[in-house]
Amino acid sequence: MRNILRKNLQTSITMILCGICSVLVINSQPSAGKRTAEVKSKDNTNAIPVYGHWKNFTTKDGLPNNHAYCVRIDGKRVLVGTHEGMAVYEDGKWTNYTTKDGLAHNGVVSIDVSELTGDVWIGTLGGLTRWSAGKFETFNQLNSGLPNDLVYCVYCDGKDIWTATGGGAGHYDTYSKQWEIFTEKNAPMHEPWTYGVSAGDGKVYIAAWGGGIIEYTYKTKQFKDYTDPDGEMEIDLLPDDGPVHDITTGTAYADGMLWVSSYFGFCSYDGTHWKGYFDHDSGLASNFINFVRAKGPVVFICSDKGLSSTNGKSWVTYKKNDNNSDGLTIIKNYARNDDSTVVHTTKEIPSSPSIAHNFIIGVDADDNYLWVATEGGVSRGELLK
Amino acid sequence: MKTSRIIIVIGFFSILGLVVFFPGRKWARGHVNYMTAVDDHPLNCFSCHAYTQKSGFISKLVNRKYLSPFNLAVSKDGNRLYVVAQESDALLVVDAANHKVLNKIGVGRLPHSVVLSADGQKAYVSNEWADNVSVIDLASSKVVDTLNTGNGPAGLSLSADGKFLYVIDSYSSNISVIDVNTGEERKRFDAGNNPTGTELSPDGKTLLVTSRRSLIVPYGESIKTELTIVDESTQRITERRNIESAYLMENAAFTPTGDLALITMIRPKNLVPSIQVEQGWMMTYGIVVIEPKQNGKTIQLLIDEPNAFYSDPFDIVITPDGKKAFISSSGVNTISVVNIDSLRTLIAKSRAEQLANYSNNLGISSRYIIKRIKTGADPKGLALSTDGKLLYVAEQLEDKIGIISTENLEPAGTIDLGGPSTITVARRGRRLFNNSGHTFQTQFDCYTCHPDMHEDGLVYNMASKDMGRNLTNTQSLRDIGDTPPYKWNGKNQTVYKQDGMRFSTVLTRTEQFNYKDLDALTAYIITGIPYPPNLQYNPNGELTESQLRGKAIFERSKDSYGNIIPENNRCITCHTPPYYTNLKMAYVKTLAVSDDSMLFDTPHLNNIYASPPYLHDGRAATLEEIWTKYGKEDKHGVVNDMTKNQLNDLVDYLKSLRAPQYEYSDLKNKKDKK
Repeated sequence: MRNILRKNLQTSITMILCGICSVLVINSQPSAGKRTAEVKSKDNTNAIPVYGHWKNFTTKDGLPNNHAYCVRIDGKRVLVGTHEGMAVYEDGKWTNYTTKDGLAHNGVVSIDVSELTGDVWIGTLGGLTRWSAGKFETFNQLNSGLPNDLVYCVYCDGKDIWTATGGGAGHYDTYSKQWEIFTEKNAPMHEPWTYGVSAGDGKVYIAAWGGGIIEYTYKTKQFKDYTDPDGEMEIDLLPDDGPVHDITTGTAYADGMLWVSSYFGFCSYDGTHWKGYFDHDSGLASNFINFVRAKGPVVFICSDKGLSSTNGKSWVTYKKNDNNSDGLTIIKNYARNDDSTVVHTTKEIPSSPSIAHNFIIGVDADDNYLWVATEGGVSRGELLK
Repeated sequence: MKTSRIIIVIGFFSILGLVVFFPGRKWARGHVNYMTAVDDHPLNCFSCHAYTQKSGFISKLVNRKYLSPFNLAVSKDGNRLYVVAQESDALLVVDAANHKVLNKIGVGRLPHSVVLSADGQKAYVSNEWADNVSVIDLASSKVVDTLNTGNGPAGLSLSADGKFLYVIDSYSSNISVIDVNTGEERKRFDAGNNPTGTELSPDGKTLLVTSRRSLIVPYGESIKTELTIVDESTQRITERRNIESAYLMENAAFTPTGDLALITMIRPKNLVPSIQVEQGWMMTYGIVVIEPKQNGKTIQLLIDEPNAFYSDPFDIVITPDGKKAFISSSGVNTISVVNIDSLRTLIAKSRAEQLANYSNNLGISSRYIIKRIKTGADPKGLALSTDGKLLYVAEQLEDKIGIISTENLEPAGTIDLGGPSTITVARRGRRLFNNSGHTFQTQFDCYTCHPDMHEDGLVYNMASKDMGRNLTNTQSLRDIGDTPPYKWNGKNQTVYKQDGMRFSTVLTRTEQFNYKDLDALTAYIITGIPYPPNLQYNPNGELTESQLRGKAIFERSKDSYGNIIPENNRCITCHTPPYYTNLKMAYVKTLAVSDDSMLFDTPHLNNIYASPPYLHDGRAATLEEIWTKYGKEDKHGVVNDMTKNQLNDLVDYLKSLRAPQYEYSDLKNKKDKK
């Protein structure tokens, strides 16, 4: 359902953008220098990990379905959500779990692991499942306080489990076992549809459809919303004035930086300044972004045209060729010259094979590997030393 | 003259007496007949009007404060026993040699377990009704710290290095991991349903946590109760092993080598019609023998005999040489002794299918039970001396510690803890409640299905008179004296009737209680079963914003569209405070096809969060399901106009409901503050 929605939306938005704004956008496209004015590095060595030696996994390797929606690394195993259940990669083998084993629904669209307990929380299109020491337990809108069975995103923040659902954001306190629901009725949302959630430093960031980013502070139990100040639905009229769009699809928080994805671009917020990124002025593969995950200073951005990663200065994008299984790794570094102009260098490294598909919905990384959930299977890249 | 006056006066009063006596007696007879549902109960006003008073002068006069030892620990040198006196909210320090109580240390409400630090300097006592653990300095016999826990702390284990205290939160079904140095709760796991027992393996690597209530399964499916296995080094749960067809796994013990663990358990027969008791058709009792390693064997063996049942097994300990296990069967005042070598031989020589069959084999216990030793009333916690030669037994309803020689397997003395010497009527009633002596072949007692005088979370097929299907969700007995009638169909107008002839005919299948015993049992049920405080959802009477919104929904007279809700379909109409029942019958359209046509007695809702599943046949696994799955026609209150947020608010409010005494005491505290 999420895919269909996104694809339809993608098509219509693309048409709108192409038909109405393309000339404007092209003509008004700022130079790299304008859009990356903060880049200070002179040595062109903005450290960002690059992955390669791709290995792709499909149903032939044991996946239940090639439509992979999410991926999460959990120690020595990797958990993948697919259209037909959850697949777990461990010791070189895939083991699949479905509703027969206790999953709430076979459409597994989000997975997170509690660092506190080791429990795996699984967001599905039919409820939320906890997988703990081999046992599945389901929370749904009928048997619990879960806002809605369409659980697009689940995030574990200590004892607190957050969900972004089709009926609002849900908060489950595993200590008190109480639920809270946040919708447009009790939070500054445009509507109850929420797509993403993340947390850090005592705050929770909810990606709310049409409502930008909803920030919740544990201590005060207060909300604050961040919306696109220019109010334009088609373009980001004023650069870096706030979120690039009110329709947000994901948030990620790490190292004091909030990263926000949308179907219209990407942005970051350091607590003071917002900064926008687009496919025409950065290394971003596409403005149509499905999901985002931050690991320390690096953020991985899942789009409909490949996977990008950045630390705000350097960009690495992984793309598959349309006509074969090979692809490119495109590295862009931004630097400031002595005359304060910003230039970027681009390096393209062929990869064979490349990632399994360019439509990417999930990603996770650890010290050695990058795992990518795509429309055509799961890809694993090795960190290139 | 004087004589005639006297005669007249005497005559007058005699006639007056006769005039009053005969109608009065007739009235009293009718009253007693109504209350007891028999016509030959002795006319003794004290039966009810003295012994069933819950408070006031008479109540104080006829009742006593007992100690009720529940669990205990022995110091390493064997000189001291530390006894949890549950009803006195105290830890007793006992001289093991001289059998004297040396000190009584006040702890929190309803203490459950005690564990000693390895150096013997500290004792940790879990306070089940205070949601904390008292840390006691044993040198000074003083409480030096109080550690906050989850809801209903019960079993305790210290990590091998003594750095972490594992607290089993029985009500909130958690395991709290507390850093002993900082006193902070480091993490909290979900355990099984209503966990209590915990035991660390001899190598310090594996922690077992036993559960009492089954996970909620639809009626017709075999119950399953979780044994939670924790890797102590990583502080992660490694396995949640379902023990099939068993529940009330109170405690566990490891063999010294750690290769096996033995866990007490009950196997209820709730899925078959309750038409027969003989041969274990209601309950059987035994142990779960497990290999704690991942995917290790799980075997269930009974401790019963074909014509004798050893009800309500509670604690289990194993001697340091690994040769014998001792099991306290609270319902029959007996310690069963297991020869572990015989147990090993049986397991080793039996095929898998044989072992599976043994779980229902009443004769198999002769292969490993080597002795039955009688104890005082209601043996609960067990502890062995360090050398393993003496077994100490907490005799809860005796206020004594029994001592048994583990060598000759004979009683070796008793320690009187100094409780009241008088056994009150209610105390006798409690002994009856907890004792299977009044059931055919001692198969079960009230406590078996009403552990902690609450309910066991099971749905039984209490076969109706036509032998049909009659599913009955066990109801709590907490503070039920003021909430007649009883049974889901409300057929029993009093506790007397509920526990009288009907009880013996339908359940115990033996002679009914004599009236003296029935009076005592009734006195206990009416006066002696208070609600626990609702510390999880309503600790102090101040409702959360969500609960306040839920309260407004509970009390509303109009739906979300402004339509008037008929009075008989408002929550507050039938569920009236303080017990949240109007004591009347109601139609809520939850009758199953197999049910007789009937109305339902409106159940009380205090502490309702603690009584899943819900509805008369337990079809609703959660409070939410009462309305999301079974309230589609708006006959059990109007709910279909509500948003999910509102339903959550309503459920939050329902979970906040608690017993009247806590409401009153909080109100009084507030007034006093003003």
